Amino acid sequence: MTKRGKAGVTVCSTAFETLGRAQARALGNAGLPIAVIPHPFGSRTREEVREIAQKCAEQIAALVSEGAK
Amino acid sequence: MRAAADAATTFEVPDDLEAINRLYRERRWGDGLPIIPPTAERVERMLCGTPRARHDLVAKIAPGYGAATVERIAVNAVLAGCEPEYLPLLIAATGAVAEPQFNLQGMQATTNPVAVWLVINGPVAQRLGVNATFNCIGQGAWANATIGRAMRLILQNIGGALPGEMDRATHGQPAKYTFCCAENEAANPWEPLHVERGYARGESTVTVVGAEGTMNMNTHAKAGAELARVIAETMVHPPSNEYVHGGEPWLILSTEHADIFKRMGWSKNDVKRELWERSKMRAGRLSAKEMERARASRTEELGSLTADTMLPISTSPDHVYFVVAGGPGTHSVYVPCFGNTRAVTRAVGD
Repeated sequence: MTKRGKAGVTVCSTAFETLGRAQARALGNAGLPIAVIPHPFGSRTREEVREIAQKCAEQIAALVSEGAK
Repeated sequence: MRAAADAATTFEVPDDLEAINRLYRERRWGDGLPIIPPTAERVERMLCGTPRARHDLVAKIAPGYGAATVERIAVNAVLAGCEPEYLPLLIAATGAVAEPQFNLQGMQATTNPVAVWLVINGPVAQRLGVNATFNCIGQGAWANATIGRAMRLILQNIGGALPGEMDRATHGQPAKYTFCCAENEAANPWEPLHVERGYARGESTVTVVGAEGTMNMNTHAKAGAELARVIAETMVHPPSNEYVHGGEPWLILSTEHADIFKRMGWSKNDVKRELWERSKMRAGRLSAKEMERARASRTEELGSLTADTMLPISTSPDHVYFVVAGGPGTHSVYVPCFGNTRAVTRAVGD
């Protein structure tokens, strides 16, 4: 997406961050922006999920702005 | 295809087995067991097992998408202790795991313990001495042990699936060290697996299966219906990827159990149908979260799911597979699959 001029951010949980970064490197995109949320995710309450989503949205916005510079 | 840029790298190291194994341990190039050093001479000898050019690209291996050239496959075959004549089988298996329907990306990077199980059919099994009888998925046969081990090393060293890094398995399973056997075709009362999958009886094949584990079933049942019932009841388990996604369950039927079905006059398809029908599970047995996942995965196939929906283990009886293998005894094995995967069979070349 980034190559096509669109902003792209991958979201993954802490348990998969290592995988995400390693695979991004392996596929030649070491700088892939990744927003990271805490793991586990599925067992959270709605309130906790809202809080995580809020923080994640801020992280995504920051990563997109950084990429635009 | 040629991938000269992906030629294997050589290292100068002291001619000392312990030092070389230390290097492999430090660099995480092994599976935790001692390796045979892949010296230039040993790799050359291994390459004599195939007429294919050393830099031919066989496949790109997820999740790192490393280039599995003939040479790199040969290096891992040496590490595992393989004989040169095993190389064509490993080349075929490497091509098979990279087929999209096998979903290697999902398997290599998942928290699931899934291992790659290699099932060998045709004349190559006997020629290489791949065990299909006593203890065929246990220890003791050089071909079974080293071919399965080489497959794992290819997945890890070329595919980049290092435990705790890109391999995210929560526990893994012992079969991730090695999992390879042949079908006991001589004792199979039906057509062998590779014939069922479209190959001639005289062809040699390797079938790769995404196996979540092995569950032994010891039953002295003597009637086909009763035997089918207890096997089907073993297949039913609520925390199962197969019921959530519509999987592809596998069974290793002992020759004694296969004979019971055959004596009842059941064809292979009859056994598949019976197991498929009897292993349907009430969707209400799933946890609420798994019910959500099953709805996301299977609504198109089954319509709206309710607690009373009877979930089939796979989308059709055709997706229940079994191989006949093992020595005498009243044991068969259920091999649940990863769920989002389909087995792939490839002919073994020269």
